[in-house]
Amino acid sequence: MATAEHYAIETVSLTKIFPDWWGRAKVIAVEDLDLRIRSNEIYGFLGPNGSGKTTTIKMLLNLLHPTKGAAFVMGGTVSDPKISARIGYLPEESYLYKYLTARETLDFYARIFGLPGNIRKARIETLLEMVGLSGMGNRQIGTFSKGMARRIGLAQALINDPDLLILDEPTSGMDPMGTRQMKDLFVELAKRGKTILLCSHLLADVEDVCDRIGILYGGRMQVEGTVKELLQQKDETQLRLSKITDKTLDKIKAAAAADGHDVEVTNPMEKLESFFVNIVAKARQEAQTTSGAEQGTGISGFLADKPVVREETILDKLVAAEVSTTPEPATEVGGVETTQAAQPAAQPAADTDLLKKLSQQPDETIGFDLVDTSATQEVSNEPKEEKPSVKTDVLNDLIGNKDDGQTEVTRSEDEKDNS
Amino acid sequence: MDTLISISVVLFPVLLAGLLLYLLMIWVAGKLLSLTTSSIGAVAKITFDQAVRMRVAVVVFALLVILLPLMSKIMVGDGTLLGKMQTFTSYGLGLISFLLSILTIAISTFTLSNDLKRKSIFLVLTKPVRRFELILGKLLGILLINAMLLVLFGSVLYACTLAVYRYADVSDEEMARVQNQFFTARIGLKPTIDMEPLYKKAQERYLAMEENNQLPEGMSASRIMRQLQGQEIMKVKAVAPGRDKTWDFENVRIKSAEDSETVLFVRYKLDVTITPPNEQVLGTWAVGDLRQYRAGGEVKTPVYPWESYGPIKTKREFEVPASVIAEDGYLGVGFFNSPAANRTTIIPEDLEILYETGTFTGNYIRAILLILVHLAFLTILGVALSTWLSFPVAILVCLVAFFAGLTNTFIMDAIAGMSSGLGLFYAFAVKPLLWLLPQFDGLHNPNGYIVDGRTLQWTFLATTAGITVFVKGLLILLVGMLIFSRREVAKAVV
Repeated sequence: MATAEHYAIETVSLTKIFPDWWGRAKVIAVEDLDLRIRSNEIYGFLGPNGSGKTTTIKMLLNLLHPTKGAAFVMGGTVSDPKISARIGYLPEESYLYKYLTARETLDFYARIFGLPGNIRKARIETLLEMVGLSGMGNRQIGTFSKGMARRIGLAQALINDPDLLILDEPTSGMDPMGTRQMKDLFVELAKRGKTILLCSHLLADVEDVCDRIGILYGGRMQVEGTVKELLQQKDETQLRLSKITDKTLDKIKAAAAADGHDVEVTNPMEKLESFFVNIVAKARQEAQTTSGAEQGTGISGFLADKPVVREETILDKLVAAEVSTTPEPATEVGGVETTQAAQPAAQPAADTDLLKKLSQQPDETIGFDLVDTSATQEVSNEPKEEKPSVKTDVLNDLIGNKDDGQTEVTRSEDEKDNS
Repeated sequence: MDTLISISVVLFPVLLAGLLLYLLMIWVAGKLLSLTTSSIGAVAKITFDQAVRMRVAVVVFALLVILLPLMSKIMVGDGTLLGKMQTFTSYGLGLISFLLSILTIAISTFTLSNDLKRKSIFLVLTKPVRRFELILGKLLGILLINAMLLVLFGSVLYACTLAVYRYADVSDEEMARVQNQFFTARIGLKPTIDMEPLYKKAQERYLAMEENNQLPEGMSASRIMRQLQGQEIMKVKAVAPGRDKTWDFENVRIKSAEDSETVLFVRYKLDVTITPPNEQVLGTWAVGDLRQYRAGGEVKTPVYPWESYGPIKTKREFEVPASVIAEDGYLGVGFFNSPAANRTTIIPEDLEILYETGTFTGNYIRAILLILVHLAFLTILGVALSTWLSFPVAILVCLVAFFAGLTNTFIMDAIAGMSSGLGLFYAFAVKPLLWLLPQFDGLHNPNGYIVDGRTLQWTFLATTAGITVFVKGLLILLVGMLIFSRREVAKAVV
């Protein structure tokens, strides 16, 4: 079976039938699936519960054997250590060893990859910092909440600086900030040449980051294509204008009506997610004025460590790149109150300014063929600017009420935002 | 009460030192495992950590901490210091062996099946580790913790044993007896009785009885036969008053036999047909080159006599210098049932010539290693079984195998006895499976060696390790690995 390396993942009429006790076919989980995921692509694998997404992933990872057909990953199978050394996998739940601490967990996986001691150590600290758990490195996984375990799960998937990431519902159990951060990360990773198979039924996640999507139902691929192809409504046109007068509007309406077109006028809506993230970001920025010093040392300490870390790996560049933006967010803090809890929040105006400024930076634009470019830019740029300054207090509330070590949680959540 | 206090005073530091040793060993083992970057080492390390954090070791430790000092007080044996030390060490070693076996079975069946159940194996097998490496890593981790706990508890028991001896308040004679019979490693020579002619005689008698219709009613042929054989054996063994009997030992080769310090021990037990009122008989012995008497010539090499009253049905010993062995390796032991002292026929049993070949410490270490061999087998069995059985089933099978191993001889005999009718099925299906059963009893039980101060030979240890671990264990392991490399580790979830 000739499988070109340029497909990061390729399946050939992949079929999985679960037999019943007597060996008769009971459930057809995946049927004749021909999946081709190119290198350096973010592929969204969609489908309702029980549509065969996870089964497909498990076959890709050699955890299940196909009834028929074959699955190739990086031109081989995962049972080959050379192949599996290039893969990062985040399963649908965090199947971590509960008796190990976060640091030991990452150390264990790093050892399996045969990473030498100093690199191991540097990567573990970097990743812990990145996923915002550096203050909890010595706590046992068993004491972690679902979202925190998820973060460790992500960290272990990245520890080998993989070329291919297979992510099964990566954002499940994550708060909106974490979700946003993860999505930014995926885009950033793709920019740096990684291939990502993103399996989810949270459509917003997929829409925001994926280049191509495939929708699976009943074990069969129903539709596949780029997000643009699938979602663009070719028979409608949307104009986006700066604030215009009624007069101009009437002119446009009249011109359109003359050609027989309907015109519907609305004000563009901000996405709830970006709205939410902005609100939280502002709120945390406010709180930073009281405990900024402490947070500052934490970040600079990490930066100082940076040169010791190996330089070429994309992972570290990624982390470094995001942290280096930290001093930038000197955005003014407004005293306007919002309805968001009792937290002081930001002026929406400042936020829009920043966003505008960011979306105009050409080198920050993502090179992906996405329909909603502005939205994606928000995703990719805005949090990078905002988040380093974001404070933990609100996020804490979001993540859930931790009954233990409030200070510890706070500190680490701060550090999470460095990514 | 005084002894309890004195023992506690001694044992407390011993146990404290044990605890410190435990912590030290965990630290050292962790460091050692950290040195490797191989995936096997990584798996071994977390398996080790898992076992340590399961706190099973602590439970076993606590049990021993409570039981060992208690035992040293309660175990009195036959009342002598020797008996006390024998029972104490025997129970101590048995307890350590038993607890660690159960512990090993629990950990080895738990670790892999738990990974499968909790799916943490997904995150391991999708990384560059081959499935057999995962299994080897698990084995290594469990073996390491086994070895560590064994060394720890073995040292504690060793220290306790020495303490019991040192702080015993008994006569010098009794101390010497312990030194000679307990703190030693001796090899025993037993006279062999040629059974063939005896069975033949029994057979002849049986035929004669059959011919004359004298066979007793209501008894099966085999039972009559057994009785006849017993009678013939007894005829050879028994010594009537006024009679004597000699046992010949050929090729007795002892290192430094010329050394005047070297001694031989003659061990025996006297049984009687009529129990004397004081339950004591006189044994009259002669040890040396007894061929000289038969030839009727001049007695050149010394023959050592020994005479003592003693309780019947009890193992007793006396020592003679090793120089009694003739140059060609011949040694004769003669027994005389003196009619002046005894009125009963005496049946000397369990006659044995013992000589020292090593130290108690060396023997003790080999006994501990023998336990480690057993634990290694159980580890392999447990991990191999859990590649395809769930935890409850795997632990059940393992426990059955363990107890079968403890009674191996009995089971083998029983099944061999009733299997004559099973034929082919037995020969090709049951027998190979039974052969896979471990042997933990009889000669494979380290207790016997320590209690009797008998040498557990390196060659025996190596052979046992080879068969138990590298033949039986490897076979089981390969089957487990084969199954594991083929199976789907994920479950059908739709």
